[in-house]
Amino acid sequence: MIFVVLALVAGSIAIVARNYAFRRQMVATDPDELPSSRAMLRFAVSEGRPSYLRHCASCHGTDGRGDRMKGAPSLADNDWLYGSGRLSEIEWTISHGIRAADPKTRNVTVMPAFATPRPIAVTNIPPLTPGDIGDVVEFLREIGGRDADSAAAARGAAIYHGRGACYDCHGRDARGDSAIGAPKLVETAWMTGDGEREAIFTTIARGRKGVCPAWGDRLGAATVRALAAYVYSLSHNSETPK
Amino acid sequence: MAGSTQSKVAAFFNFRQVNPARSLALLGIGAALGLAIAGVGLFTAPGTSTLIVPPEDVASVNQRSISRIDFTVQLRAQYDVGPSEATPEQRRKVLDDMIREELFVQRGLELDVAGIDPSVRAAIVSAVEEQIVADVLTRQPTEADLRAYYDKHQSKYSNEGRMTVFDLVTQSSQEAEAAVRALREREPVAAVAARFGMRDSGRVKGEEFYFAAKIHLGDPLFALAQRLQDGEISDRIPMPDGFHVLAMIKNIKPLPVTFAAAYNEVLSDWRSDGGARLLAEDEVFLRKRANIIIAKDLR
Repeated sequence: MIFVVLALVAGSIAIVARNYAFRRQMVATDPDELPSSRAMLRFAVSEGRPSYLRHCASCHGTDGRGDRMKGAPSLADNDWLYGSGRLSEIEWTISHGIRAADPKTRNVTVMPAFATPRPIAVTNIPPLTPGDIGDVVEFLREIGGRDADSAAAARGAAIYHGRGACYDCHGRDARGDSAIGAPKLVETAWMTGDGEREAIFTTIARGRKGVCPAWGDRLGAATVRALAAYVYSLSHNSETPK
Repeated sequence: MAGSTQSKVAAFFNFRQVNPARSLALLGIGAALGLAIAGVGLFTAPGTSTLIVPPEDVASVNQRSISRIDFTVQLRAQYDVGPSEATPEQRRKVLDDMIREELFVQRGLELDVAGIDPSVRAAIVSAVEEQIVADVLTRQPTEADLRAYYDKHQSKYSNEGRMTVFDLVTQSSQEAEAAVRALREREPVAAVAARFGMRDSGRVKGEEFYFAAKIHLGDPLFALAQRLQDGEISDRIPMPDGFHVLAMIKNIKPLPVTFAAAYNEVLSDWRSDGGARLLAEDEVFLRKRANIIIAKDLR
């Protein structure tokens, strides 16, 4: 009996020691090299999941598919607001947040509220009328391959590329800019709503400025690295060892 | 002798009988193990290492860490390569730059630069405020918390109203009265304007949000327009520039936005209020513990 107990203790110590060594190696590794080590990635993902469920799932969902009511994007579709899905980029976002109270947080701009006297504080874009916003909605639906009023869409295009200054963030081709967190507006899963007119109208009228907290100081480097690996695995299922 | 040693060893491993030597040995092993575990935890905890750099950092400057995450991002920003792709010269250059920055920051603290440089002071105040507010941001409120906040501040969460209104103006009071009667008899606006010599003031064009209509019409006219129903005509309104008549085509009053539609704003406002409360509480705490003496003439 005593030998069984000793064996269990020895085994537990071995597991703890192994995990400790893995954790140190995980943190010391170049984050973008992590996916190339299957054992390391498997370890990191297993470490990251409990933290994800505790800190991230309330907004991004237990399956990582986001929540359109909360405007929390899906993390499972490999379509990134910031960066290109590299593990180091995910890690940075988790560590410093988006519009979070962190000096290195991602915070270049917000979606202006065009149904207000001053849509955005930092620059002088004029507000839009309800008709203008409606036209832009039709333009966005048309370029997204949905049914749209062509005449309104043409007027909307002029606003998009002109006084609305939408192109400045979302791009002339409406494919967004992951350097500044401007989502693409074509071929996309919408962050809020599902491309319905009312939802797009509300976003343009009221603006958006979502927040992702900065977790670096609260969770520590090892947990953040593991979280990043787990989030990475959500959109790279085929690469992630089970 | 050999037999005595053998019997001692046999007795040591005979777990059916109490053996003081074995008890002491196990106690010693347990104590040593505990000390070893505590030592590992103590001497590898963040901030305690004096001789080695923790794996999550790339350097330590006077016990201040330079994190590997920051180093990686800096490397990508400067050379567009990751740590494993970067050349030793690139890694060294970025690391040297980061060490230099840390040294100068520490020197700045030694020189109390915050005491003399207004921009440093402003940056520190801003950073401390962010630290305080960070607690609120990392807390995810329950849906019940947010619904309660939404219910309490529901007047904030409504769509912007819209109106389509004609603002006709004339210098003649009688023409204005006649125009009101004609419009109320459902004569078209353009025809009435032409017949009674009224002109469109040009202040409003097509459908406008309430805030825009208010700016364009001015407060008195907007206040009257806001109350008009669809198709309703105002009375003659004397103004400094003539007699106005408002013909409301469509008036869509602000409607409350559902909780789901307002969710992001509610969450943002909840966090802002929470942050403001924390800042206020922290200031009270800082003032209480500080020794603040105010000159007599300013008391």
